Amino acid sequence: MNTETIWLLTTLGAPLAMALILVLLRGRAVRAAGWLAGAAALFSLASAFALLPALQRGDAPTFAMDWVPAANIRLELRADWLAFPFLLTEASVTLLAVVYAWGYHHLDERSPVFYALLMLFAVGMAGTTLANSMFLFYVFWELMLVASCALIAAWGEGSQRRAVALKYFIFTHLGSLMVLVGLLVLYDAAGSDSFSALRAGLELTPTLVTTVTVLFIVGFCVKMAIFPVHLWLPDAHAVAPMPVTIMLAAAMLGMGTYGVLRFPLSIFSMEQMAPFAVPMMVAGIVSEIYGALMALAERDVKRIIAYSSVSQMGYILFGLGTLTYEGIAGATLHVVFHAIVKALLFMGIGLIIHATGRRRITELGGLRGAMPLTAFCTIVGALAIAGVPPLCIFDSEWMIFAGGFRTPYLALAILSLFGSLLTVAYALWFVGRVFFGPRPPELTVERPHWAMVAPTVLLTILALVEGLVPAPVFAWVNQALAMILGGNW
Amino acid sequence: VTGDIWVILPLICLIGGAFAVYLVARFVTGRNDCLAAFTAAIFAAALGTLVLLRFMTPGTEHLPTWGRFGPGEAFLRAEPGALVIAGVALGLGLLVALYSGHYLTLDRRYETYYPLLLLLATGLVGMVLAADLFNLYLFCELMSISAYVLVGFRRRTQTAIEASFKYLMMGSVGTVIFLLGISFVYRETGQLVLPPPSSPPLGGREGGMGAPGPWTRAGIACIVTGLGIKSAIVPLHTWLPDAHGRAPSSVSAMLSGVIVQSALYTLLKVSLGLGFPAHGLGTLLIALSLFNMTLGNSMALVQTHTKRLLAYSTVAQVGYLMLTMGIGLRYDLVGAIQAGFFLIIVQALTKGLAFLSKGVSHFYLDATTINQLHGTAARLPLVAVCFTVALGGLAAIPPLAGFTGKWFVVTNGLRSSDALGLVGLIVLLLNSLLGLGYYLPLIGALFAPPPIRHARRFRISPWMVVPLIVMGALVIAVGLYPGPWLGWTRAASVYLLELGK
Repeated sequence: MNTETIWLLTTLGAPLAMALILVLLRGRAVRAAGWLAGAAALFSLASAFALLPALQRGDAPTFAMDWVPAANIRLELRADWLAFPFLLTEASVTLLAVVYAWGYHHLDERSPVFYALLMLFAVGMAGTTLANSMFLFYVFWELMLVASCALIAAWGEGSQRRAVALKYFIFTHLGSLMVLVGLLVLYDAAGSDSFSALRAGLELTPTLVTTVTVLFIVGFCVKMAIFPVHLWLPDAHAVAPMPVTIMLAAAMLGMGTYGVLRFPLSIFSMEQMAPFAVPMMVAGIVSEIYGALMALAERDVKRIIAYSSVSQMGYILFGLGTLTYEGIAGATLHVVFHAIVKALLFMGIGLIIHATGRRRITELGGLRGAMPLTAFCTIVGALAIAGVPPLCIFDSEWMIFAGGFRTPYLALAILSLFGSLLTVAYALWFVGRVFFGPRPPELTVERPHWAMVAPTVLLTILALVEGLVPAPVFAWVNQALAMILGGNW
Repeated sequence: VTGDIWVILPLICLIGGAFAVYLVARFVTGRNDCLAAFTAAIFAAALGTLVLLRFMTPGTEHLPTWGRFGPGEAFLRAEPGALVIAGVALGLGLLVALYSGHYLTLDRRYETYYPLLLLLATGLVGMVLAADLFNLYLFCELMSISAYVLVGFRRRTQTAIEASFKYLMMGSVGTVIFLLGISFVYRETGQLVLPPPSSPPLGGREGGMGAPGPWTRAGIACIVTGLGIKSAIVPLHTWLPDAHGRAPSSVSAMLSGVIVQSALYTLLKVSLGLGFPAHGLGTLLIALSLFNMTLGNSMALVQTHTKRLLAYSTVAQVGYLMLTMGIGLRYDLVGAIQAGFFLIIVQALTKGLAFLSKGVSHFYLDATTINQLHGTAARLPLVAVCFTVALGGLAAIPPLAGFTGKWFVVTNGLRSSDALGLVGLIVLLLNSLLGLGYYLPLIGALFAPPPIRHARRFRISPWMVVPLIVMGALVIAVGLYPGPWLGWTRAASVYLLELGK
């Protein structure tokens, strides 16, 4: 076992071990829980970065052992270029969400369990990206769901939280089952559940290829919250406590994209995927426009941003659907940049809700003077999501649209470009209603906690820096695509 | 009568133990914990002899038998499938006996309970080991009668008596039909011994060539119906929600955990042994399983009473078992049958744990409905965790045992060569969504805030803690490391398929 393998294991192991420690300590670690979780998240992020040198050397750190030899099920973890951007996004978002929770979460005797579940949620996402065998992939995929669902059911806001958690679980489980069937078909065809067997090439009949691809795309679209299978998202995002919302919106939605990239796009050739290009692009555009319209129609600030996720995932699906280098690169890049911006927006909204105690946009207004820093950060976030240069999302949207224009379906590309006008509309409308205009006289503002402000500011800087210097992240994403597309572009 | 003494040793242990426990209870000590420990020791001894027996059976060619009176003829035969089920039953019985060491102080009458528990296990072990229809019938009756009495064990509760009576009526009809079937078979063939796989089926005429005759066919139909009642095949399941919902939880754990499944195994073994074609039996099971899964889950959705909910979920779980066994028999897939045996182990663990956890909350909190379970996490944290593990296992949430079981069922089921098996799998997957609709609210109820403020936290008796922790750990361990358990079921599946050829 070399150093890289150890880093690979600690990326997953640090949060997992911390979750166990926190559960065992329970009431004895109420004050320390947040700090311990933060340390584990930091360590996990550092371990993820420590994998970078090996990847740049062209290695893929791997950990493999037999699990159920009788059924050819193996326990394999592997960090490759495709996993890396997602792993990095997930680990950074977790760290920032935990720091944010220091200020947002009220300490009580259940707090260690709260942080333990956040850690398990992170393990689920990190494991999903690192798993190199199907059984393990599905275990982590569901762990992600179980942990986040428990967080919503127990710490959600409002009396509906358990009903919302149930809806969230059953709805996304439907998607998981489709993915499971897809995985099992591949497992049966490959004779082993290791992804290495998939990379070696598969012989599937055309009908089976179609079935598996449809199962995967629809199944992962449920996680990405693409219209019309997005129904779980607005409720879950609105009810979840803010740190969980941040992890859901910024990191977990990206896992659906990872799934589409890892399974249908990597396994099947572009010729096999070609029939799905138009349906994916159309679904992406519908989702993009629908999400933006719903965001315009909503009155609850958290739900507005929740619907904006539906819209943003539409861009990503459109990019994937173009099946061009630019489109797929843009979509992958968009996952990373959307994570930065969406986390930033939710953090800003969390600060507003925390400071004013209000969520309805009609009861807010004129906060620019009272919370200048929050206003600045949130406005940067809103401009970023509207695709304003030089903020980061402009870069990835540029790539996605460029991909669209590379396809023969120019009408779709133009439609999606014009659809992005609606994004600008709700972003500016939201900013205008919350920060400008007259301030309701009875609106009082409390001082925010530093732990909530610090990550918000950091993300604002990141949104700007990534917009101006996208090269490093872009280089990593490029490596991932070289892997999928085989470099013949 | 001669044979391998090892085959009959578990039965001797159990029957002798039943009498010994009764005598000890009457003449030595009436203390519950002593009797529970003694009963558990008897289960352990029987399990020990079974393990020894397993080491005596290296392959399927020379199965140890007891009571040989002709070539290939015996009273008892240590078939690999029977060993799996008997092992699971004795293991569960051991834990249930320990659990009763404190739980039974609710009901008392220890001198009746423990012997009946042992006789229930005797009947089960004898039924699966029996190699001729006569003994099989006797052991089946022994098991059923003990079960009727145990269901009505809370004799001061009217609903328990009602449930027991309903179970008695339906069960007796089942055994009478079973007996009728045996007499039909005997009329035509003149013998009752179920042959081992290498020899022709009992029903086959003239040296085993050709299909079973008309009387044997009628007999098989009767036997399938009779044992179908015992294994709760829809629409013959109506006794189950009452019986399993009203029995003491420790008894329900046995009934839902292994008894129903062992009846299904016996149904397969006998009908295949009599010459029912495997393809036809598989088709029948797949078709019926669709109803079992859908009806069980739909009915469980509307229950307000926790144990009744768990009982309906048993109907659904039997459906999953029937589906995979059916797929295995219809398409000749060893893997699917193996998944079926694995499911039997998983169901014993998850269902057993669910009923035992429910029993603890009933014991301390007097909770019977789902709403009364609110606040269990605050007052009985261990129970809430174990119950959640059990329900998560039943709902097939990875990495718990139920998920691993379902993984094997679906992977092997996907190899079915036509649409029927795939339809079954789709229904299974949709049903697992339906199942979430009642498992998750139940978990939610456990972790809901308690109805009264400052609820007291209870200290659970170690008699209950040990079985809960052992079973909870096993649900996780079997899920994470299914290899050895899967290996254990290999021989059993090969044997069952051989029986159908």
